[in-house]
Amino acid sequence: MISSDVIRGYNDTMILYMLLDGESYGYEISKNIRQLTQEKYVMKETTLYSAFTRLEKNGYIESFYRDESFGKRRTYYRITPLGLAYYKEKCEEWKVTQQVVNQFIREW
Amino acid sequence: METISVYLDNMFAGLPRNPELERLKRELLSGMEEKYLELKREGKSENEAIGIVISEFGNIEELTAELGIGPAGTKQAVPVLSEEEAYLYMAAKRSSGLWTGLGILLAACGVALFLVLDTIFENHSLFSDNGSGTMLGLIGMFTLFAAAVGMFIHSGMKLGRFKNLEQVFRLPYALKTTFQRGQFHYARTFRLALITGVCLCVLSPIFIFATIYVNDDLVPYGVSAFLVSAAAAVFLFIYYGNIQGAYTKLLKEPDLTPEKKEEERIAAAVNAVVWPLATALFLFTGFVYHRWDINWVIFPIAGVLTGMSNVFHIVKRKNVS
Repeated sequence: MISSDVIRGYNDTMILYMLLDGESYGYEISKNIRQLTQEKYVMKETTLYSAFTRLEKNGYIESFYRDESFGKRRTYYRITPLGLAYYKEKCEEWKVTQQVVNQFIREW
Repeated sequence: METISVYLDNMFAGLPRNPELERLKRELLSGMEEKYLELKREGKSENEAIGIVISEFGNIEELTAELGIGPAGTKQAVPVLSEEEAYLYMAAKRSSGLWTGLGILLAACGVALFLVLDTIFENHSLFSDNGSGTMLGLIGMFTLFAAAVGMFIHSGMKLGRFKNLEQVFRLPYALKTTFQRGQFHYARTFRLALITGVCLCVLSPIFIFATIYVNDDLVPYGVSAFLVSAAAAVFLFIYYGNIQGAYTKLLKEPDLTPEKKEEERIAAAVNAVVWPLATALFLFTGFVYHRWDINWVIFPIAGVLTGMSNVFHIVKRKNVS
């Protein structure tokens, strides 16, 4: 299990990635993150929803309601052009970060 | 599933209520419920599923920090009242009201008994010596007084363990709604009890007038009837008022200003002085000067006085602010 301290700066990136191929909702996003990381990273509920709040405030995602079967109404999220630009920025940042940190990683 | 909702309620109990937080809470709940249902479908037991969902909830401060609700430090210093404690308080308050009311009724009956016995013995001279009626009446009166004092102590002790409610506390949101609904339904009963009590109060001097009209010798009986019916009204006020008071106390907003607290304290002090004084004056003028016909006006006057003292403080507070 990864410590949440290390990954904190990239929670938003993960969520934006999950929205690249289309809109989704809270539980689906967290489930997909879990599956994609082979359960090595499970995003806490409060982490997920504070990220939604933050991303929406910054204009990186937008939310809307959609009626599901059984009369259930879900909040869906979709990525905005601004969010996409931010995502690309974060990808670049990570590449550099990775390079930098890798300088200090010795393979045994 | 209920457990999850209760868990969330507790997590949010210390937070202010606003639409944004309510929406977030709903979102969290539906996400957690979905996770729970899926875990159940995967064959996890009830306990396992709930355990996983709760362990993956995270930290509520992460959310409050994001929403700028500030470090929850000051908010969390306010203790949250548990459901059990709230219901226990409700029950204690009701039972304390019953015993206090009964005590007052009993004390009034004691005075009435004394008056009646004293008068019967005097009028009919059942015994040659005049003192026996008074003696018997006094014994009866003090026996009932003793029982009444026992009831007061009993009711005081019942409430004693809820001293912590004098401090500021918070009610979990779900519980608050339950009590709000309870108070709403209770309002009708309370109103009815108040109206009945006021009618009893207003009509009770009729007993005295009636006996004055018929025969002056009967006045002590009229006074007895007046005392008992007034005490019955007081019983209604205390018993039903205590239940209403419990609702008010539980539902009051936790941020009580010092001025408001001071005001409540003064009102309680005024009541504690005025009413026993009025009763003492009533009994004194009655027994010593035999002015039962008019001395009952002490009670309405006392009522107006305490009311005026409350109004005075409210006006004063308005002027200050």
